[in-house]
Amino acid sequence: MGIDAILELRDVVAGYGEMTILNGTTFDVPRGAITTIIGPNGAGKSTVFKTVFGLLKARQGTIRLGGRDITNASPRRLLEAGICYIPQGRNIFPELSVRHNIELGGVAAGAGVKDLARRIEAALDRFPVLRRKADAQASTLSGGEQKQLEIVRGLLLDPALILIDEPSIGLSPLMVQETFGILTELRARGVSVLMVEQNARSALEMSDYGIVLELGQTRIVDRADAILADPRIGQLFLGGSAA
Amino acid sequence: MLNLLNLVVSGLATGAIYALVAIGFTLLWQTSQTINFAQGEFVMLPAFFVLAALNVGLPFWAAVVVGMIAALVLLGVTFKLVLVDPMLRHGVLPLAIATMALSIFLKDSVKEFYSAEAQAFPSIVPEGSLALFGTQIPLQSIGVFVLAVAAVVVLQQFLARSSTGRQMQAAAQNPTVARILGIPVERMILYTFLINAALVALASLLITPIYLAKFTSGETLGLAAFIAAIVGGFNQVRGAIVGGVVLGLVDNLAATYVSTQYRGAIPLFLLIAVILWRPQGLVGRAEERTV
Repeated sequence: MGIDAILELRDVVAGYGEMTILNGTTFDVPRGAITTIIGPNGAGKSTVFKTVFGLLKARQGTIRLGGRDITNASPRRLLEAGICYIPQGRNIFPELSVRHNIELGGVAAGAGVKDLARRIEAALDRFPVLRRKADAQASTLSGGEQKQLEIVRGLLLDPALILIDEPSIGLSPLMVQETFGILTELRARGVSVLMVEQNARSALEMSDYGIVLELGQTRIVDRADAILADPRIGQLFLGGSAA
Repeated sequence: MLNLLNLVVSGLATGAIYALVAIGFTLLWQTSQTINFAQGEFVMLPAFFVLAALNVGLPFWAAVVVGMIAALVLLGVTFKLVLVDPMLRHGVLPLAIATMALSIFLKDSVKEFYSAEAQAFPSIVPEGSLALFGTQIPLQSIGVFVLAVAAVVVLQQFLARSSTGRQMQAAAQNPTVARILGIPVERMILYTFLINAALVALASLLITPIYLAKFTSGETLGLAAFIAAIVGGFNQVRGAIVGGVVLGLVDNLAATYVSTQYRGAIPLFLLIAVILWRPQGLVGRAEERTV
């Protein structure tokens, strides 16, 4: 692409047990932009995240963050290096309070971050809903509020790159708009976002770049508007979008 | 009426011990899906560690310390590394069956290498009794209750207020996400095994002076802790507390007011009733599992 990349995947091979899902996946994620990965079910979209974040072992290939090799690094090291990962579904600790849930986002920093308490307060100021329910059990939050909590928690260590998997799943249209709004706001602050989204059309509309993944290989990497305008892709992945 | 007070106090004391053992039981389940059918033997064993240390000539309190350390090393660390970790890779059920085998192994080892006879065990709380509302309450019961409650309060405060405690809760409630946040999940699981070892060792020190040290003494205790955990709610520490105390009271009161012969059956009736009408336990929460 010839642009400044924050994350680079080169010929990455990974999968579950005998099964290979990523089959030489190669792409760059531009810095300071929102990039969305689209592709049919089983293309390996979520597997990319798990492999980048050290939950699945990359059998071959290299992954670099800002030029530094992070292939198969542990989640803790990746958090220190400036990546956070927000998986799909519910990722809260239901019986801990909202405040304590957020606080756990700072564990990886150990004693390294001195102003954690201030950061938590700032995060709660930014999201009044979370402030109001700060001392309630996290299980009392609505789906959208839980997603907000996960994002806030992920931001506690000031990551340079956020991996977010299906942020819109199970949310009302209004909450989806709000969540996408938060991501746009992050981009304005210089944070890079890599997203997987089944709601491909809306996601691409707010993205700068798109990556089309098929059978664990990169088919297309382009500007998001170009992908939206591409008739082949429209038909394959965006059309009825039900498939 | 006076008799009732006595029964309630001794019921609370027994119940508090059941609660200690049941808390350990639920902690292991929550953090590592371990259903420890050897939990009763885990209570029987530390008393024998102490007796063995006494036999080589150590003074009582030194023997207690040795017994505690042996419990932490053998019933905490070794149990996890040698039995739980390898078996859990094969699933929850193979692990549960392995703990049944362990329970038989521990019982027969004590019988074979120590003694089949019941052994007297010194009390760590003062003997004697206290006159209260005109009735004599044994200090033993009061001491046992106070120590057990103190242990539970310390544990609860640790889990709720310390950062490590909350990381342990996080690791139990959602291990995948805990890992993603960089929480050392494996170390947190090891801590729960150490806490369980400390709880059973304390229970052992409290109950053995009352019921004597015998290789079979874990059988009823293990069952009681299992029932207490289910009655209270398997997935909650406070469930284990409620279950333990309820069971201790029911056990003591039923033996006097209903029938001594059916003493062993009444906790089982309670278990069946709870499973029928409130399967999540008295204060438990219905489990959600996504597959």
